[in-house]
Amino acid sequence: MDQTHALGIDIGGTFTDLVVYDRATGRIAKGKELTTPDDPSRGVLTALEKLLEGGVAPESLYRIVHATTLFTNALIERKGARTGLITTKGFRDVLEIGRERKYELYDIHIAMPKPLASRDLRLEVTERMAPDGSEITPLDEGELLQQVDALRAAGAESVAIVFLHAYANPAHEDAALAAIAKKHPDLIVTASHDVAPEIREYDRTSTTVTNAYVKPLAHIYVDRLVDKTAALGIGAPYFMMLSNGGLTHIAEAKRSPVQLLESGPAAGALVAAYFGSKAGVDNVLAFDMGGTTAKLALVDEGEPHVDYHFEAAREKRFAEGSGLPLNISAIKLIEIGAGGGSIAHIDDMELLKVGPQSAGSEPGPVCYGRGGSAPTVTDADLLLGFLNADYFAGGSMKIDRDAAQQAMQPLADRSGLSVVDVARGIYDVVNENMASAARVHIAEQGKDPRQYTLLATGGAGPVHAYYVAKKLGVRRLICPLAAGVASALGLLIAPARIDRVVTIASSLEQMDWAKLEAAYRELEEDAAKVIEETGFDAGKARITRLADMRYIGQGFEVVTTLPDGPYDASAAQSLLDAFEDTYRRTFSRTPPDVNAEIINIRVSLRADVPGESVGFKATGDTSDGAGAPHTRPVRFPEFDDYVDTAVYDRAGLKAGERFDGPAVIEENESTLIVGPGATIEVDPDGNLLVALPEDDS
Amino acid sequence: MTDASFDSATLEVLWTRLVSIVDEAAAALVRTSFSTVVRDSHDFSCVITDAAGRSLVQATDSIPSFIGTLPRTIRHFLDEFPAETLQPGDVLITNDIWMGTGHLPDISVGKPLFYKGKIVGFAGSTAHAPDIGGKIRSPEPREVFEEGLQIPIMKVIRAGEPDETFFNLLRKNVRAPDEVVGDLWAQITALDLMDNRIDTFMREYGLDTLDDLATEIQSRSERAMRAAITALPDGIYENTISTDGLTEPLDLKVTLTIDGDEVMADFAGSAPQVDKAINCAMCYTYAMTAYAVKCAAAPNLPNNDGSIRPIKAEAPEGCILNPQFPASGGSRALIGHFVPSLIFGALAKVVPDKIMAGAGSPLWCINQSGVTESGAPFAKLFFFNGGMGGTNQSDGQSTLSWPSNISTTPIEVIEQLAPLRVHHRTLRPDSGGAGEFRGGLGQEVKFESTSLTNTAVAFLAERTRVAAPGIAGGEDGAKGELRINDQLVDPKQQHIVKTGDTITMRTPGGGGYGKPGDRDADAIAQDQAEGKIAE
Repeated sequence: MDQTHALGIDIGGTFTDLVVYDRATGRIAKGKELTTPDDPSRGVLTALEKLLEGGVAPESLYRIVHATTLFTNALIERKGARTGLITTKGFRDVLEIGRERKYELYDIHIAMPKPLASRDLRLEVTERMAPDGSEITPLDEGELLQQVDALRAAGAESVAIVFLHAYANPAHEDAALAAIAKKHPDLIVTASHDVAPEIREYDRTSTTVTNAYVKPLAHIYVDRLVDKTAALGIGAPYFMMLSNGGLTHIAEAKRSPVQLLESGPAAGALVAAYFGSKAGVDNVLAFDMGGTTAKLALVDEGEPHVDYHFEAAREKRFAEGSGLPLNISAIKLIEIGAGGGSIAHIDDMELLKVGPQSAGSEPGPVCYGRGGSAPTVTDADLLLGFLNADYFAGGSMKIDRDAAQQAMQPLADRSGLSVVDVARGIYDVVNENMASAARVHIAEQGKDPRQYTLLATGGAGPVHAYYVAKKLGVRRLICPLAAGVASALGLLIAPARIDRVVTIASSLEQMDWAKLEAAYRELEEDAAKVIEETGFDAGKARITRLADMRYIGQGFEVVTTLPDGPYDASAAQSLLDAFEDTYRRTFSRTPPDVNAEIINIRVSLRADVPGESVGFKATGDTSDGAGAPHTRPVRFPEFDDYVDTAVYDRAGLKAGERFDGPAVIEENESTLIVGPGATIEVDPDGNLLVALPEDDS
Repeated sequence: MTDASFDSATLEVLWTRLVSIVDEAAAALVRTSFSTVVRDSHDFSCVITDAAGRSLVQATDSIPSFIGTLPRTIRHFLDEFPAETLQPGDVLITNDIWMGTGHLPDISVGKPLFYKGKIVGFAGSTAHAPDIGGKIRSPEPREVFEEGLQIPIMKVIRAGEPDETFFNLLRKNVRAPDEVVGDLWAQITALDLMDNRIDTFMREYGLDTLDDLATEIQSRSERAMRAAITALPDGIYENTISTDGLTEPLDLKVTLTIDGDEVMADFAGSAPQVDKAINCAMCYTYAMTAYAVKCAAAPNLPNNDGSIRPIKAEAPEGCILNPQFPASGGSRALIGHFVPSLIFGALAKVVPDKIMAGAGSPLWCINQSGVTESGAPFAKLFFFNGGMGGTNQSDGQSTLSWPSNISTTPIEVIEQLAPLRVHHRTLRPDSGGAGEFRGGLGQEVKFESTSLTNTAVAFLAERTRVAAPGIAGGEDGAKGELRINDQLVDPKQQHIVKTGDTITMRTPGGGGYGKPGDRDADAIAQDQAEGKIAE
C-alpha cells in the first residue's frame, strides 16, 4: 500500500485535534475529541480509531507529528514528578532565593513561584569549578552517591544535577551522570549542561529542575502513546514539535521535554507562516484571539521569531517575573488577557477597563444565557452588530441580545455614556490593549508594524483584527480558511529544526578563530546527527550561525544572525557589522568607543519536510458564488450611527470574488469585520485578503 | 459620572498607549546598559511628565524611590532652565543630592519633548551608576564633597550635540568609566525613544498638547487616592522605632495624621542629621512615605502626580530625614528604607490587615574596589536582601527586595566580574519571626577575596542590633550580622581585605504576623521538613 498519509496530533487543554493529510490528493480529514488529562493517549486513540474507521488505513501512514500542552499543564497544576536536586555544596537554596525581585511593587501579600524541588529534596555535594572552567575542588563521588540514595529514600522519582560554572566545564556533571548511571541505571537524571549550558545559576537551575520535573511524565506518556498506536497497526515514525517550531524524534523529546512546553502555540505560529507564504506575504503578524487570551507572534520571511528565554507557569497571569525562568528556545509570542470572554468594568478612576478577568466559555458572555452576568467583549460585539444574534455559531446557539444590553447598563450609568457608546468603548479598549502590546513587542524587535500583514485566527480574531490592524498601521489582513484546526495543520508543515548553544565568552579582538570555527562545527555536527535521526536529509539542511553578542561590559546579549562560515581572522569585521546592524535596528544607536564580544554561539539547522510541497485543498468550497448578500445595521467606529451593512456567507464566496467594505463575512466559527474603504478579495484557496484604506491622517 | 473632555473609553486607550511607551523605554535601558546595577539589579526608572514636570506615567519596572523623586528632579530642571531656554535635542542632567534622589551615584536625565515647536512634556530617567568617584560608597564620608563628583543641573546634550568636556570630566572622575558612561548613553537612548514615540502618538491622535490629557489622568488618580484614604479611619497615629544607627542607635519618629481624604506624615522628633553618609534627603523621605501609604491604601492605583497629591510629608530642617547642605547621603537607604516600616507601625493599631510586619530591610550590599591584575581600577556593587514581613494572609517572602526592588546578581556573574569567590549562599533557618504567618527568611553569603592586592570593601548593612518587629502578636525576625574572618565588624566602616580573607553577610529575617500559637500545624510541619525552622 502507498504510504501517502501524514497524521498531526495536537493535544490542547480542552480539545485533542487530529488531522490526516493525504499527499496524493491534498485532502485533509479532521478529528476532534475532548482531551483526557488523566491519560492523554486515550483521547488520541478515540479520535484515531474514528479516522481509521473513516477509511484511513493504518499502514498508509508514513509520519506522525505531535504537539502537546501536557507538560505545560503539569507545571501549572504542579502535577510533575517528585523531583530532587543535587548541587554544589553551599548552593542548594539558589532555586528558592531566586532573583530577589518583586513582580508587583505595592502588593504586600505577594507570592513568588514555589520551587519545583522543595528544600528537603535539595542536597549538596563537595565539588567546585572556577568561572574559567578550571577545577578548584574535585567531585566527591562517594558523597554524591550517598545523596542520591538519600533522595531515593525520600521518594524522588527524578533528579537534577546542577553544578556551579558547569557551562564553562561540564566535567563534574558528566562524572556525576556516569556514577549515578552505574549505581542507579533506572533513575531518571537531568544534568544542567545538557539542557541549558549558560551562565546564571538561578536560570540554569530552574531550567534543569523543570526538565527533571516533567521528564518521568514524558517517558510514560510517549511510550504509552507509541505502544497503543503500534497496536493499531501503525508503524509510522513519530516526531515531536519543539517550542521553537522545529521537530525532533522521540528519544530527544524524552531526554529534554522542557523543550516541548510551548509546542502547541509554536504549531499555531507555523501555520500562520504557512498561510502567509501561500498568500505571497513574507512578514506576518499572527493574531490569534480566543475566549480568554490573545496571542501575537511575528513571522519574518516565512520564519517565526525565536526567543532563547521563556517564562512558564506564571504565578500571576501575564505578570512578567512571576513564573519559572527557562533557558529554552521558543517561538516568540506574547499573550494578552484579551478574549471574547474578557470582562469590562469601570475602575476606581472611572476608566473603562477590559480584562484580564474573563468569563471564559463557562459561564461565558451574558448573551450566551448560561448564567454569565458580567458584560464581555462578545456582548459588546453583538450589540454593535458585528455578531449575528440569529445565526450564532452557525445557528447552533441561542443568543440573548436584551440580556447583553441590560448587563451594559450599569457601566453606562456610571460613565455617563449610552449603552452603545459603552459597547463601542469596550471594542476600542480591547483593541488598544492588543495593539499596545503588539506595538511594544514589534518595537523590541526593531521592526515597523506597517511592513506586516495581520493574519487572524481564533473565534474572536476576525471580529477584532481589522481595527487592531488599523491601530498598528498594518495595511493588509488575511483571514484563512480552516482556522479551526490550525495548530494541527501547522504540525504537518513544520521543518525539522534543531538549535544548539554553547558559551564561549571572548572578545572579537582576542578571538581564537580556529577554536571558534571548531566550536561551530561541533554544534553543527551534533545538530545534524539529530536531524538525520529524525529521518530528514541533513545534507539539505539550512545551517544558520548565530551569536549572542554584546559590547564588553554589557550584561544582556543581542542574538545576532551571522554570515555563513567558515570563519577566520578576516571574518572579524563582518561579524562586528552584523552585530552593530542588529544593535542599531533594535536600539537606534550604538554606544561610542567600545569593543564587542561573543558570549554564546548558536547554530540552528532546519530541514524541510522531505519529498513534497504541501498543498491543502480548500474544503467546503463548492458554491457557485455568493449571490446577493443580505444586510443588517452595524455600528462601525468610522460612522456616527448604525448603517445597513452587507453581510456575506463565507461558505458561499467564490475564489476571485472582490467586494468593498464595510462588510461582515460570516462563517460557523467566526465573523470577519471589515471597515469602510477597504477591499476584500477571495484567493484561490478560499482565504480572504483584505486591503485596508490608505491612512489619511 | 465625569465632566471631562475624555470619556472613560478614550482616556483608557490613550493612557494604555502612554504606559506602553514608557515601558518600551525601560526595556531599552535595561537591554543597552553596561552595569550589573541597571541590568541585573534594576536600579533605575523612566517617566513621562507633562510640560510642568508633573508625572503622567511611570515605567512598570521603576523602583519606588525614583518613582517619587524623578518628577521632582524634572521640576528642578525647569526651575534652572525655564522652557524658553530649552531647545529640541537638549538633555539635562544632575546628581545633586537634594534635587535628585538623595545620593550622588544616581544620575538623573531629562529631555524636553517638543511638538510643533512647543514643549509638551518631559522624558526622564534615573539610573544608579556603578561608581561616581570619591570615597567608595560607605557611611563614612562626613560631607557630600567626600562622596564623589557632583553634577550641577546642566545640559549634557545641547540641541543634539554632546558636551564632550563633561563626558571627559566624568570619565576622569569615576573608577569604571566605560560602565558609567555606557549606562548614561543607555539612559539617553531611552529618552530618545520616548521622544520619538510621543511624537507619533500625538500626531496619530491629533493632539496639540498633553495638558488636557495630563489633567484628566492626574485628577482621576487623585480622586481615587482621596477615596482610598477616606476609607482609612481618621486619627493621629504615632510610632517611634530605633535603627542600628552609628555608635548609638538612632530613633525615627512619625506622627501620621489621617484627616478625611489626606494623609500627613510628620517626622518631627526623629534624630538630627549626622556627620555620616546615612542622612536621608527630604526627596527620598517623601518617596518612601508615598510608597508606604500607597501600599496600604491603594496598591493598584497607577503612578502619577495625582495619585500622590493627597500624601504630604514634612520633617524639620536638619533632621536626619531632612538633612541640609553639605550633609553626606551616600548610604541614605540605611535610614530611608525604614520609613515604610515606620509608617506601617503607626497604622498597625488601626488597619493591621492593610500592612505587613517589619521587613528585613534596608537593602544589604557589598561594594568592592581596588585594582585588577592589569592595574586597572575597578568598583563592583552587589545587592542582597532579607525577608519580608508576614501579613494577615500569608508568610513573608524570603529574600525579596522591599521596599525597594533591587535584585541580586548571580554568583556565577559575581565570580566572573570581581575577585571574589562565593563559598555559600543559603537561606538562614529560624530567621523569620514566628507568628500565625511567619516572617520571610534572610540569607547568608560568604565571600573570599581572591584579589592578589588588597581591596576596599564597604557595605550597606542594617538591623544588626534592632530586629524587624513582628505585629499583632508576631515575633521579631532575626537580626543581621556582618563578619570579616568570622569576627563581627562595624558595618558602617570601610574595611581593607587581603587575599584569602572572608566576608560573611547574614541578612535579617522579616517579622511575624499574629500569635505563633495560631499557626497552622501543616505549615509548621512543612517548615520543619524543609529545615526552615528548628525541629
